[in-house]
Amino acid sequence: MWGNLNSPKTGENLPTKKHQKNPQKLKPPSPSPVFSPLPSIFASPCLCSPLPRKLQAGRPARPASGIRGSEGPLRLGRAWARLAGAPKILVPWRTTLTRIGGQYGAGTESYFTLLRFLLGLNILGALFQGALTLLPLLLLGPIPGPPSQGVHQPCGPYDPLPQGLVDYPTLLINLLSGEGHLEWSPLFYGFYPAQLSGGTFRLPVAYLLSTFVSGLLCLLLILHRSVSGLKQTLLSESGALTSYSHRIFSAWDFGLRGAGPVELRRRALRYELQVELEEASERKRAEARTRAQWAGLWATRILLNLLVLAMLGAAFYGIYWAVDPNKVLQTPVLRLLVAYLPSIFISAANLLLPPVFGLITGLEGYPRSRQLQLLLLRTVFLRLASLVVLLASLWNEITCGGKPEAEACATCGYNSAERPCWETRVGQEMYKLLLFDLLTALAIPLLVQFPRKLLGTVCCGRLGRLLGTMEFQVPEEVLGLVYGQTLVWIGAFYCPLLAGLNAIKFLIIFYLKRFSLFFFCSPASRTFRASAANFFFPLVLLLGLAISAVPVLYGIFVIPPSKLCGPFRGQVTIWAAVPHAIQGLPRTARDFLFFLGTLSFAVPLMLVSSVLMVYTLTLASSYGRQVSKLKGHIKMESKSKVLLAQRIVALSGEERDL
Amino acid sequence: AEEDFSWFDLTEIELLRVKCLPHTLDVLRASSLYTPFHIQLSHKTQRARAHRRFIELLPPESRNVEDSLRVRVSTEQILTLPELKANPFRERICRVFSTAPERDSLSFEDFLDLFSVFSDAATPEIKSHYAFRIFDFDDDGTLNKEDLKCLVNCLTGDGQDTQLTSSEMKQLIENILEESDIDRDGTINLSEFQHVISRSPDFTSSFKIVL
Repeated sequence: MWGNLNSPKTGENLPTKKHQKNPQKLKPPSPSPVFSPLPSIFASPCLCSPLPRKLQAGRPARPASGIRGSEGPLRLGRAWARLAGAPKILVPWRTTLTRIGGQYGAGTESYFTLLRFLLGLNILGALFQGALTLLPLLLLGPIPGPPSQGVHQPCGPYDPLPQGLVDYPTLLINLLSGEGHLEWSPLFYGFYPAQLSGGTFRLPVAYLLSTFVSGLLCLLLILHRSVSGLKQTLLSESGALTSYSHRIFSAWDFGLRGAGPVELRRRALRYELQVELEEASERKRAEARTRAQWAGLWATRILLNLLVLAMLGAAFYGIYWAVDPNKVLQTPVLRLLVAYLPSIFISAANLLLPPVFGLITGLEGYPRSRQLQLLLLRTVFLRLASLVVLLASLWNEITCGGKPEAEACATCGYNSAERPCWETRVGQEMYKLLLFDLLTALAIPLLVQFPRKLLGTVCCGRLGRLLGTMEFQVPEEVLGLVYGQTLVWIGAFYCPLLAGLNAIKFLIIFYLKRFSLFFFCSPASRTFRASAANFFFPLVLLLGLAISAVPVLYGIFVIPPSKLCGPFRGQVTIWAAVPHAIQGLPRTARDFLFFLGTLSFAVPLMLVSSVLMVYTLTLASSYGRQVSKLKGHIKMESKSKVLLAQRIVALSGEERDL
Repeated sequence: AEEDFSWFDLTEIELLRVKCLPHTLDVLRASSLYTPFHIQLSHKTQRARAHRRFIELLPPESRNVEDSLRVRVSTEQILTLPELKANPFRERICRVFSTAPERDSLSFEDFLDLFSVFSDAATPEIKSHYAFRIFDFDDDGTLNKEDLKCLVNCLTGDGQDTQLTSSEMKQLIENILEESDIDRDGTINLSEFQHVISRSPDFTSSFKIVL
């Protein structure tokens, strides 16, 4: 029926075509203008050269409707693709990630790619900061000795190093809370001197520069990642494509091999269909609600929101209270506990509250996708706001509640009695949070997942299955990553080696999560929209970056630097080091840089940027209008196709009756 | 002008429905409206690769070139290929491409047809035509409710607990017919199917098997 490879069928048919003149029979009884091409085609014997459709023997295959492309461009395209794919080999863990994606779904894979991306960011930041601050210190300058003890210093005695011999428990506590020997070490801000020997390398300027440049680099890389992901996602997820017909007819990937990926895809498809159908029926139910039911529903929602706010408030109050330094306790364990109290409160809030939120959103009567969005929003708020509360508490302590005339802050501009070196204190707090986060990540597989798995195998029946099945919760894990990264961005200015520590921590977490994924977790039943992974998570990362910029910039521009420690001692503000350094430059450079700060540069820049922005917006809106016009065209095309198809059906129906 | 009607392809089934004289049928077959949907793989290496895979499925005594072009391989043998082993539509694929009277074995030409339709060289019209035939479980030329039900069950899984409930299934099939059945006759014919497919850009990339 379909002919051979070297089909001589065309030859057979041509003679018949020549002496056929029949098709009057097929003429429709009442031709209308739309259908006039049709009879003519049936009428003419030489039916617009069948050659492109049929392949004659001996003829090279022309690019026609059946064949696409010819040999030359195909080979070139393949060579180019191979070349473009070469850098991808250098990226680590590629096979692991594809394996994870195949077995556990695209959402889990996106978590691990995000982790790898953040690891790269941290390594880059650590290298940058190390090269600009630590390396010059080690190569050039004098290693600063401990601050002079005993002498009466104007802004309170600063004595970080412990006196005499230190016993083992205290050493351990010092290691874990960044005090003692660790406090006066390159790990923290306080160690770095104001001047290096030689006088040519300005450490303060380099310190500031490294922070700004690594922040900018992070911003650019995250934007690049989110924009490229967004482009891909916007194309593939327009509304018309998520109809039922599309899912059933064209969504099955015939290239899937192996029982595992096939099973995974089937589960995902089933889940998607069930969610869609459930939402549709939910919407129908919502439309059928009476006024009394609506009133009851809204009352429930308001009550539950108040409950959520109350829980958040309680958590934040706890965190705020935990930062209070006025607790002097004797036993080392209690001291450690008190030192880690803010971390414990934050981690407890982040572990306990999201499941409660999950239960609450279930009661609010929203459709399922809306529920997930609300849950994510609340969890993001919890994570980032707990950090903000911690920082607010620290700020309160350091600047005496923002009142420079308060008695503790009057002499030095900051609370020198309790915090002679406040930058190191902030750095220590971030260091402790980082360590505790790592500890929590280590403890969860051991204390939660492993017993659950054990119980799952021991208990039989439904309870056992409920306990034993654990799935990798992608949103919560990603928010944990964002939280960890925000910590580092806040703390990197006050603790220069924090990025390096974070890189090591992320490396440990990668292998840990991979291990717990393969050992404990079952494949995901919930699908993950690509838009979430490509758009929402980088957005939250950017939000974290924005939030972390606030305390750093506030510390640089507003709070006076500590007079006894750090590279900025003796200056009015930390930023004052920069104009001071610019003064030392040659005249043209100095004038240019000062010009950049004046109004006569800022105003034209703003004008030009606004003009560009308006232009881009108008361009975007005109593209949008073009897109909707083209969509209208497609609809018209499909209408004419439909009419012709109906005509064919009618025609064949008439022919049957003939 | 012939390209304007590239979507307007009469298949064998529809052709046979057009009850007319035999010579008219030949005219229609010779016209550009009817395509045999047989594509040659334009690339020699792809053909050679297909031949190599086909020969591996043959018993050792007929693994030479002349025999390989004559002999037919049973469906069970074809289903041992890793590309097809886990595919939920594997039996339908073999049935559709088989030209044997009992539709249970494939010759080398059929095998070549199979992989050329699933390759990059095939156009969306050809792919959608064959997709329609694969999804038409009772081979009657249209997708009725039973076909759609089998299709959905293939997609979600065969076990008892992996299927949709009957109310969900009913709702789903109604929604599909609502969206795709243009002439409201309760079934989806080829043109309606191709119309739905033409709107999804990733059909071509998902209806692909690489040897």
